[in-house]
Amino acid sequence: MSSSAHAGKSKRHSVVVSVTSKPEFNMKRTSISGTSSQRQISHASGFHPSRIGSLSRRSILITSDGKTMDKGSLIGSKHTIQVFDEQGKDVTPRPLYRPEPSASLHRQSKILSTQDFSGATGSDFLSSLSMHQTSGVNASLVGPFSRTYGSSSISKSTTSTTESIADEIVEPGSRRDTAISLSDVLVRREEIKEQLTKEDIDKRVDIYLTETETIWLLDMPTVMVSIESEDAEKVKERNKDYIELCKNRVGNDCFVERMMQTLNGAPKNKEVQCDKILMEDKGIMATSWDLYDSFNALETTLAPSVTERSSRPTSLSSSKSNVTKDRERTMSITSTDRESITSSSIIDLESVILARIHEEEEDHSEAILKSEKFQQDLFFMERVLMENVFQPKLAAYRQLPVLIEPVLTSDAGKEEAVTEEAEEEEEEEEGEEEEEEQKEIVVGSSILLDLSEAPEEILPPSLERLWSYTCELTNGHNVSCMAWNKLNPDLLAVGYGQFGFQEQKKGLACCWSLKNPMWPERIYQCDHGVTALDFSLANPNLLAVGMYSGTIAIYNVQTHNTTALLDSSESFDKHIGPVWQLKWIEQDRGTTGDDKGEILISISGDGRITKWLIRKGLGCTDLMKLKRTASERKKLTGEKEKKSEALISRQPPGMCFDFDPRNTNIYLAGTEEGHIHKCSCSYNEQFLETYQAHKGPVYKIAWNPFSTDMFLSCSADWSIILWRQDSLRPILTFSSTTNVVHDIMWSPKSAFVFAAVNEGRVEIWDLSVSTLDPLIVTFANPGVKFTTVLFARNTDCILIGDSDGIVSVYELRNMTASDSNKVDALHDIIGSALAS
Amino acid sequence: MAEVEETLKRIQSQKGVQGVIVVNSEGIPIKSMVDNSTTVQYAGLMHSFIMKAKSTVRDIDPQNDLTFLRICSKKNEIMIAPDKDYFLIVIQNLTE
Repeated sequence: MSSSAHAGKSKRHSVVVSVTSKPEFNMKRTSISGTSSQRQISHASGFHPSRIGSLSRRSILITSDGKTMDKGSLIGSKHTIQVFDEQGKDVTPRPLYRPEPSASLHRQSKILSTQDFSGATGSDFLSSLSMHQTSGVNASLVGPFSRTYGSSSISKSTTSTTESIADEIVEPGSRRDTAISLSDVLVRREEIKEQLTKEDIDKRVDIYLTETETIWLLDMPTVMVSIESEDAEKVKERNKDYIELCKNRVGNDCFVERMMQTLNGAPKNKEVQCDKILMEDKGIMATSWDLYDSFNALETTLAPSVTERSSRPTSLSSSKSNVTKDRERTMSITSTDRESITSSSIIDLESVILARIHEEEEDHSEAILKSEKFQQDLFFMERVLMENVFQPKLAAYRQLPVLIEPVLTSDAGKEEAVTEEAEEEEEEEEGEEEEEEQKEIVVGSSILLDLSEAPEEILPPSLERLWSYTCELTNGHNVSCMAWNKLNPDLLAVGYGQFGFQEQKKGLACCWSLKNPMWPERIYQCDHGVTALDFSLANPNLLAVGMYSGTIAIYNVQTHNTTALLDSSESFDKHIGPVWQLKWIEQDRGTTGDDKGEILISISGDGRITKWLIRKGLGCTDLMKLKRTASERKKLTGEKEKKSEALISRQPPGMCFDFDPRNTNIYLAGTEEGHIHKCSCSYNEQFLETYQAHKGPVYKIAWNPFSTDMFLSCSADWSIILWRQDSLRPILTFSSTTNVVHDIMWSPKSAFVFAAVNEGRVEIWDLSVSTLDPLIVTFANPGVKFTTVLFARNTDCILIGDSDGIVSVYELRNMTASDSNKVDALHDIIGSALAS
Repeated sequence: MAEVEETLKRIQSQKGVQGVIVVNSEGIPIKSMVDNSTTVQYAGLMHSFIMKAKSTVRDIDPQNDLTFLRICSKKNEIMIAPDKDYFLIVIQNLTE
């Protein structure tokens, strides 16, 4: 069906409205929507295809006339409206507005009686259906329309179908629709409410706030129409109408100004109370080492702390470790202990734990005292103390200028200062007043040189005792030998052992260090008296010790181990007699097949000079067997020993030897007979030469380190003889006392100086000064015999060992520095001596 | 342990040594060879001094550490060997 009455009157589209039985009234909704005061209400009307339908609707309408619509009755035949264009397009408008059902109901009742409608709208109504959508048209407005027209339509119903404009009929439908929609909405709302259960409320709901797309509520784009088009006139008229409308708007009753206000909720004050927030101030100073420690500690803490915790109660150990680590940073130590308690009965446990803490501390202190670090610290502390105690002596040893307190300033001061100093010094050093006054006068004359030269006196050379190496262990032992370490000139090895057969007792070998003169660094207890010692040159940590029993032991002084590294007591060819001298010699051994190396050579009382090799223990080969040589008068060398003596023929005990410093193949050996044999390593059968002059056992032989032609020998016959290599007769004989000369040694600094020790005194001879008398003589304490002498290499000191186990260090003072290379001078002296 | 005892004895009997005190890291004396009041006094005073010295050395170079400390005064000399767990303090008087 098409609506006929439109084209001319209405400006609107002519639309075909077909009614279908759908529950939705799309168009109706649009018409209902909005509250605009515009009267250009667009209504879509639906035409019934049949009168019956309309009748039925009318009947419904009649029944409901004057009353508000009954929701239930309206739910009958619902029909949707579909609007079709002339072309047949479906231009059914879709609803934009879903009205508030309650509001619509309200307004229906109110506006019913009061509304006055302009004719224009009625005509519009009658004329056509419009597609215009206005917003805010109330259902209430529609409602009364429908009624009036409904009634009119009723009256006219029989006339024409066209006039029975179904838009009134539509109205109830619309109302129906709204009612339906209301009910629908109401239903839906209730449904929604039921779905919320307790779980849902408790459930955590994620709320996402996003910006929605822009919702267009009204979009009326401007339409541009050309003047020459057909619709131009229409558009112009419309525009004019619009402008008139706008003018009429002001003051017109049709337009009402309305104010809107958002309702603000009433505020309410609520008070909340919480527990007091405890504040604590904590200060810490971050020093740069603190930061460094923290960074390093992070890497290393985890592993050790875990192992600690596994073994002991966790709280205590962790707190303890924290304590030790953080003691420098944190203040509260006891509080951390208490906080780490996790058990229930606090009081009892606290007491228990406190007791445990005390125990732990005690254990800890014990641990400290036993720790190696502590031992080491004590060691250093001891040395430091020694340094303090012996400082002037050690300084003298090192030939440092000794500090005298109070220091006499050598600056050329004012006389007042000088007199002040004089007063101070007078108080302290009363015995030297005169000297000081003289000095001060010199100072007063303000010439520094005078001061340095004024007290110059020519002092005789003397020995000044610095200190002595002794300790309670060595008391009573006889010092038999001494040797310096080849690498460290401050390390001294001293062997303690008796010389005589009857006095034999357990011996001792000690290593002393300069840094601690009161306790040896190493102590090696030996079963027998130690009679010979030497440090190795190639391996400076090896110390060879020869004993009275003939055993040779080698010790490693690097470790604290007191057992010997090697011992010759089990080898086949060990010595039977006491080892009187040991030496490590660097030697070419091309003939024997070995490369140049170091060998240990010993001479012993069984008459053998043997060479020891360190290969799987000590192995030895004999270098020489000493043979008895009878006196010159009767016998020849070598053979006829057996004839003269009915005694058991045996080899003479060797007492000493010394290698030629230039040629290590040649050495001198002294025997108990008093002979000195010159031998060679290549011949082990024969001596090269024999020097016979001594009448008693030769105790020591020493080559002159500067002039290798000369050597000294000392013997029990109270004499020291200076020999020259090429002469079988002694060059010079030094005899000053009637005591056995135990030891001699050339000074390493001068070709003329040597030291000799006989039992009661020490003699320093200087050949350049006198060949008859010693330069310096120092007497021993009564009851003590000097037995050994050793020169210090790096300083002007001499070490003297005595029979009481004391090794004294003496400083040689005021020795005239002689040119050590004056070998010619020595020869001159000798020449003169020989001549005389 | 015996060695430690021996060394301590030797140190104590050295010339001029007035006392030897071993203090643990918390400032409590573990071992002392002087009377109680002196011990406590030394332990307390030395602790802060050592901390200061240690802090100074390490501030200059964090990889460095204090190994020995000597305070020479007119009347005597105090020697301290500090360690992580303890301090060893020896007082010596040479000018007697």
